[in-house]
Amino acid sequence: MDKEKKKKESIFDLSKYIDKPIRVKFQGGREASGVLKGFDPLLNLVLDGTIEYMRDPDDQLKLTEDTRQLGLVVCRGTSVVLICPQDGMEAIPNPFIQQQDG
Amino acid sequence: MAATQATNPSQLLPLELVDKCIGSRIHIVMKTDKEIVGTLLGFDDFVNMVLEDVTEFEITPEGRRITKLDQILLNGNNITMLIPGGEGPEV
Repeated sequence: MDKEKKKKESIFDLSKYIDKPIRVKFQGGREASGVLKGFDPLLNLVLDGTIEYMRDPDDQLKLTEDTRQLGLVVCRGTSVVLICPQDGMEAIPNPFIQQQDG
Repeated sequence: MAATQATNPSQLLPLELVDKCIGSRIHIVMKTDKEIVGTLLGFDDFVNMVLEDVTEFEITPEGRRITKLDQILLNGNNITMLIPGGEGPEV
C-alpha cells in the first residue's frame, strides 16, 4: 500500500516578510497594509500599524484616497486573497481601454 | 495539526493575540460593510466568536445600527479582521 505522506507543507514562506510592510487584499474587496508581525499555516496574519484603504461608495472596485488607521489587527486567513510587499505594486492607467476621439 | 513549522517561534501567532483579547473589547470587521464591537468571551477553531455588550455598525448607510446586549454568537465565516481593543468606526 503506497501511503502518501500527509505532511502539510506550506508552498510559501512568509517569514521573509516578518517586520516588513505588506499589502493584503481580502475577499469582498477590502484592502489593507501593515507591518507583518506574525502568521500561521492557515494564513491568519498579525499586522501592526494597519491602514485600511477605503473603496469608492459609487464604484466598489475603485480605491479612494481615503484611509483609516486600525493599529494592531489580526487578519483572517480564510478571507485573504493576496499578499504582496508594500512596494511590490503600483497603480497603472487602464491598459484595456481603447481611447476613441469623439 | 501536523504542520511543518518553518515559522520563527518567537513571532506573534494570530490566534494567540485573539486569545489574549478574551475579556476585553474587540472590533470585528466583516467581509461586507458590517462591523461588530463587543467584549470577547471566547472563540473556537473556526474563529466563531462569542461576544457580549455588542454594537453593530453598518458602514455604508453612515450610522450605527443596533445595540445588542447579552451575548451573541458571531459566525466566523465572514470575519475579515479582528482589532483588539478597537472601539469601532468613528461614527
